[in-house]
Formats: sequence, C-alpha cells, structure tokens
Amino acid sequence: MPLVEIQDLKVSFSQYGGEIHAVRGISFSVNEGESLGIVGESGSGKSVSCSALLRLLPATAKVSAKSITLDGVDVLKANKEDLARLRGRSAAMIFQDPMTAFDPVFTIGHQIAETIQSHRKVSKREALAEAEQLLLRVEIKNAKDILTYYPHQLSGGMLQRAMIAMALSCRPKVLIADEPTTALDVTIQAQILQLIKKVQAEFGMALIMITHDLGVIAETVDRVLVMYNGEVMEQGPVQQIFDAPQHAYTRTLLASLQTTFEPSRGDGSAAPALELRGLAKAYRIKRRSGFFTSYGDFHAVRPVDITLPRNSIVGLVGESGSGKTTTGMMAMRLTEPSSGQILVDGVDITSLTPDQLKSHRRSMQIVFQDSYSALDPMMTLTQIIAEPLHIHGIGTTREQTEKALGWLERVGLPRSFGNRYAHELSGGQRQRVAIARALILGPKVLVADEPTSALDVTVKAQIIGLLKELQAEMGLSILFISHDLSTVKSLTDSVVVMYRGRVVEQAPTSAIFADPQHPYTRALLDAIPASNPRDKRERTFLAAADLEAQTPRYTVIQTGLAPNATPQLVTIAPNHRVEAIVTT
Amino acid sequence: MIFYILRRLVSVAVTFIVVSLIIFFMMHAIPGGPFDANDMPVSAAVREKLMANLGLDQPLWVQYTRYMWGVLHFDFGVPYQSPGETVTQLLSRAWVPSLVLGGLGVLIGAPLGILLGMAAALNRNTWIDYLASTLATLGLTIPVFVTSMLLILVFAVWLNWLPASGWGKPERWILPITAYALIPLATYARYTRSAMLDTLNRPFVTVLRAKGLSERRIVFQHVLRNSAIPLVTVFLPMFIGTATGSIFVEAMFRVPGLGAYFVSSIEGRDYPLEMALMLMITFMYCIAYLLSDIVYALINPRIRVGGTP
Repeated sequence: MPLVEIQDLKVSFSQYGGEIHAVRGISFSVNEGESLGIVGESGSGKSVSCSALLRLLPATAKVSAKSITLDGVDVLKANKEDLARLRGRSAAMIFQDPMTAFDPVFTIGHQIAETIQSHRKVSKREALAEAEQLLLRVEIKNAKDILTYYPHQLSGGMLQRAMIAMALSCRPKVLIADEPTTALDVTIQAQILQLIKKVQAEFGMALIMITHDLGVIAETVDRVLVMYNGEVMEQGPVQQIFDAPQHAYTRTLLASLQTTFEPSRGDGSAAPALELRGLAKAYRIKRRSGFFTSYGDFHAVRPVDITLPRNSIVGLVGESGSGKTTTGMMAMRLTEPSSGQILVDGVDITSLTPDQLKSHRRSMQIVFQDSYSALDPMMTLTQIIAEPLHIHGIGTTREQTEKALGWLERVGLPRSFGNRYAHELSGGQRQRVAIARALILGPKVLVADEPTSALDVTVKAQIIGLLKELQAEMGLSILFISHDLSTVKSLTDSVVVMYRGRVVEQAPTSAIFADPQHPYTRALLDAIPASNPRDKRERTFLAAADLEAQTPRYTVIQTGLAPNATPQLVTIAPNHRVEAIVTT
Repeated sequence: MIFYILRRLVSVAVTFIVVSLIIFFMMHAIPGGPFDANDMPVSAAVREKLMANLGLDQPLWVQYTRYMWGVLHFDFGVPYQSPGETVTQLLSRAWVPSLVLGGLGVLIGAPLGILLGMAAALNRNTWIDYLASTLATLGLTIPVFVTSMLLILVFAVWLNWLPASGWGKPERWILPITAYALIPLATYARYTRSAMLDTLNRPFVTVLRAKGLSERRIVFQHVLRNSAIPLVTVFLPMFIGTATGSIFVEAMFRVPGLGAYFVSSIEGRDYPLEMALMLMITFMYCIAYLLSDIVYALINPRIRVGGTP
C-alpha cells in the first residue's frame, strides 16, 4: 500500500463573486522512499494539494476526495489525535520563505525542541540535545550556538537548514518541500537541494518536491507530476518527462529551459549609453556604546566601473547583498552615490540638481522586480502608462492616452485593458505594463532590476523575448540586473559579476560561460540546476574564505601591472577583466 | 538596556520641561485672572495686594521659574479656590476616588476586552465574532455620558437595584465603574482582534500547525506572544492614562474625584491647581510611554537581541 494516496481530490475556495476551483480532481500516490516532483506554475494547485494532505487549508476551502490516505490513516476522517500524529510524524513540511516560517519571538532551539516534545514524552533538556544533533546532521557547524539564536539573527540559507532539521525531528515518513529554494540565492539553492537529497537517503524518507522550476525537478526527483490549472497534465519517470514529453504544456515548460541567444547589434564606436566611473555607496551605521554614539561605514558598493555600450544589453549578476541593485539605483540617481560619476549618453549627471535632472530622466528609465507595488493601485493602466508623458508635458491629454494605448498593444496587451487596474492583471501582464511605462518616453538607457524573478518560467521566457524585441526595435541599452545566470545567458551581450560590493569579473557572455576565471563566477555557474536529469551531479561548495584563497593570480609579465597583494581588476583578454592578485 | 533606559529618562525630562512651558504660557494666555471684578467684587487696591502676594504681578518667566522650582521640591502651591490646604493635599484627597474608578475600571475592562478580542479573532466570521465586534463598536461610538445615563435609568430608576450616584459605599461604585470599564473593554477588544488576526495570517502559524502542535499551544504560546508586541504600545499608555479617571463619568455619577477640578481650575484661573493637574497627566504619560517602550523591547527579541551576532 502506498504511503500517500490521493484519489480524485477537489479543492475550491468560495470568494466574493463565486467559487474558485483550485484543484479539479487529481490523483496520485507516493511509495515509501520514493521522490515525487510536482511541477506547475503559480495557481496550478500544486501547493494546495499538499496542504490538503495535512488538512492545512483555511476554513474557506472546500475539500472533497474519494480518498486521501497518509500512512494508513484516512486524512479526511482524522480526528485531533490522528492529525497531531500525521503532522510532523507521518509527514513534515518545509516551506518557501524560511524568513517568515519561524516564529520570530522564540529561539531556534525552542522551536525544534517543542516539535520533539509535542510528539514524544521527553524533557526539555533531552529535546534540546536532540535538536543540536539534528542541526549537526543538516551541516550546521556551530549547532550549540544556533540553538540560542532568534530567527532574525540567521541568514535565509541557515534558516532553511534549521527548518529541515525541525522537519526531520520526528523522523517523518514523507518530507513535503514546498518551493524550498525559491526565496534563496542560486548558490544557496544548490546547497539546500543537495542537503535535502542527502537527508532523504539517510532517513529513508519519501519526498514530495513542489516547485515551478524544472531544474530543481531534474536535480532531485524520480517521478514527476505536471500540473496546470488544477489538473494533472502528465506524469511519469523524470527522464521520460524530459526526453519524451507527451503533453503540449510540458513541452512549453521544457522549451523555456532551452535558450537561444542572438547578440544585439551593439554600437561600439559611439560613446557608451551609460558609464559608471568609480561609483560607490557607503552607508553610515550607528554604533551605540553607553551614552555615546559612534559611526562606522558599511560599504554596500565599493568603487565600480561599468560601461554599458550603446544598443546592447549588459547583465549585472550577483547574490542578494552583492550591491547589484544599489548600483542600478545609483545609475538612475534614485540612490545618491557616495562617490564616483554617472555618465548617461556622455553627459555627467552626478551632480545635477533635481530640476536639471528632470529633462535627463527622459533618457533613463527603470523597471522593478515587484510589478505589483511598482504600479499605483488607484490608477488605470492608461493613466499609469501615460503618466511619464504627463510629467514631462508631452502632447495633449488625448495624444497621451492614444500613445499609452498604442504602447499597451506594443507590449502585447489588448487596448481594451486600458481602463483596468493593476490588481486585475497577472504578474506577467503587470510587468508588461511596467515596461510600457518605462519605454513610452523613448529612453536610451533602461535599468531592469530583476524584472523576471517573480514570474513563472513560461511567462519569464515571454518577458525576456519582449525585452529583446523592444531592445532591437528601439536601439535600447539595457542594464539587466539578475541573480539568475541562466536568464542572463539568453539575453545579455556581456556580464558583470558582483560579489560583496565589488566587481569580480566582467566579460562577454560567451566568455563567462565558457571560461570563467574568478572562483565566485565558477561557483555561480556550478550552482545552476541541471536542465536534464542526466546531467545532475554532486557538487562541492566553497566557503567565503575558500573563495578568497582561490583568487586568481597573474604575473607582472602577463598583465603589465606592478605586483600587488590586494586583488585588483586585471584585463586578461579583450573585454574580459577579472579580479586577481598580481605577483612577480 | 540600562543605557537605553537612562537615555529615555533624559528625554522624558526634556519632554516634561517643554510641555510644562507650553502649558504655563497657554494658561496665562487665556484672558482674565483669578480676581476679576465679576467673580470677586473687591476694590482695585485689594486686588493689587492679592496679586502681589501671590506673585502674579511678576513677569511670566519669573512666575514660571518660581513655580517649577517649587515643583522640584514637591511644592505645588496653594489652590486659589480652596486656600485652606495645599494643592498636594487637595490632590491626594480628590485623587483617591478617581484612582479607584479608573483603576478598577481598566482592571476589569482590559482583561475582558482582551478575552473578547481573542474570542472574536479565533472564531472569525461566526456569531461570536459579530457579537464581539458589535459590542466593541457600540462601546466606542456611544459617548460615555449616554451609557452612564442608560445604566442609571435601567439599574437605578427601573430596577432600583443600585444607587444612582454618590461614592461613599462600595455598592455606589458598581455603576460608575461599569460605565467606565466599557471604554477600555471596547478599545482593547478591537485592537486585540485585529492584532490576533494579523498574527494568525502569518506563514509561521501554518508551519506550527504542520509540525503537529496542538491548537491550544499555537494560540496561547505563539500567537498571543506575537500579538502582544504591537499591543503593549497601545495598552500600557491607556492603562496608565486611566489613573486620572474620567471627567464625564465622575460628573454623571457625582463622584467627588479629580474631574471637577480640571474644569473649575481652568474656569477660575486657579493657576497652581491647573498647572499641577496638567503636570501630573504629563508625568503619567511620560512614564507610561517609557514603560511601554521598555516592555516592547523586552518581549521583542528583534529589539532586545539585535542583529547578526
């Protein structure tokens, strides 16, 4: 008998204006020790199905099924005691955002220990000792200290490890991982996925991996369930799904993994569209000691030089905290730099007053990651898109509206959307509106700050396509900020890699992927999930200290520079620069 | 933490001085004086003598410095309307009923309000929630003098169970305290409900359920503790604010408390008493906010423990 068996599960939510059918009659089963991947886009019902398995859905959800059994218990008929046994002991869950998944007012140790104590009669001391052992099993080195930490004191990656330790605490028979790495950096994602595979083998658990990312699926599971709009499109062994997809939707999903790249025309002869010279940002931080306050500097961005040639796309890549967004914001003068110069189209805009800057803003625009909060909820789409024209006093109101409607079509939305509001649109549609608003003034430079990272894979591919198309049409120069190297690969002409506020490598995209020089670039590339289960592999991960130790070395003869123990950017090939130590 | 408290105490002192300045000069900005002709028909010479005796002929800043110097020595002067005693004596006499009324009112109303708010949040969109929300809204929107009158009408006039007014014996306390308790009850119920609902919707509650914790433990240990963080900043100041009682409730039930003096001291230009009352309120609120900030830091590890170690 399978460990998990779901037959004809239907879930609907009653809302104002009718019912939403989130899951429409799906069936699947998971055997002991097996790993099943459920892949689908947001709203496909993949998370809802697994929440139904543990009866975690809110009271507004209507659940019906022929049968839902977990570990031999009929979940739909389970009483309080059964549920308490099912949750945590038969099945444990890990969630998407580890930052919000812990109760902020209790220590990590307390939260793991209380899980153990709620399932077994042990003393607090024993429970804490066990929690420490669990933290060691998830490769947390200073486990004893971590027990006494509060969630806000730990990074996302550490918290997700602690969350896994907590899930393991009652030796569950199945581990349900609901997008466990979506909120994490690429390098951390690779570590967490490998850890999940490792503990699954060690504890002999079954695994249900819920994700929108086919790469995660390729890395972790044996069998795949493809969901779309509350229904199972296709299921089968992972290799078969990747090699011989039966359903059209599966093929679309897979197609979004395959990327083609055409370089943009570029225009090397003319002055660069955007040039950042020694741009840096330091924040003052307060340190309190007694009655006195001292100030220190936090260097978000060390002096960086980035050149965005006319009519081309440059990718700015790095993990959270690397300073890439700050750099983009400074380039737009939305954050004031501490030092350095910003040249847009050859004009130094670093010290322009707000009045002088206003006319320059026409040639520099930005698109943000979170399209929902970037669009005014009280304005119609036409108003939103036409607002830049209004601000710069271009044309009559009628002309502005006409132009906005034209742009709506140009970004692939019907004109009839003009009177709608942002909340009526999907994430991809909202991002299209944001792009239209940014481009209606005909800017020369566009900063795109992670415009696709909140989107589903198929939508992401569409937005990338749109940006590429508009870039070619308008001769735009785009600074594309992303944490995701695989997105960058299909879009940009060259890549700048940032790490801890510094540029560590910059090179044409092909060179970065074929011949990465800096250890951090290599780590980033290595962390990209496989695009086919055949390619999955064990990875070794470097700590920050290892990265420093592996900083490349070049001799005086190779570089023509004086020897220097401090790493500096060294040109090693045309347009390829890497941070390295120059030795004799 | 100790330095934090010390720093806050310094800022309390500054606040206190600024507020006392504003009050003092506003008080004297009201036209007229304590010995105006229509109140006290005395000759001009006598009036001048009186003013000189009380130091009211001095420039304002001299009067202010003198008064505050007295305050530093716990000397709040002599009330003009009752020259037989000092302001301190008057206050300690009149404050007792106000303290009992406000204190018992909030001690009864606050816990009931919190329980009501919890019940509403945990049974969202059921009749319990609707009943609690209706009660809370009524309690907040109906002025306290209307509820006082209703209470008197029902329990004193119609049912004749309780005396309508006065203070002497404990059975006379019941109606005014009930009337007063409705205010914190309604406020606390509303705040508690929304804070609990906010917490219940946070992702970690789902995680706690998925861990297999009992619902009781989730609510009483996790949800309550998290909801308490935003609530202390509202509740503590309110709690201490009540120590001055309610002018309206005291007037409706003829309680011989502080309330009446707030009005009479302003009307009669009774500067020492007015100043003392205002300083007292300022002081209580300063302490209340200080306490609530300290408690907030204590129960919130993000403040108490700080960032990455």
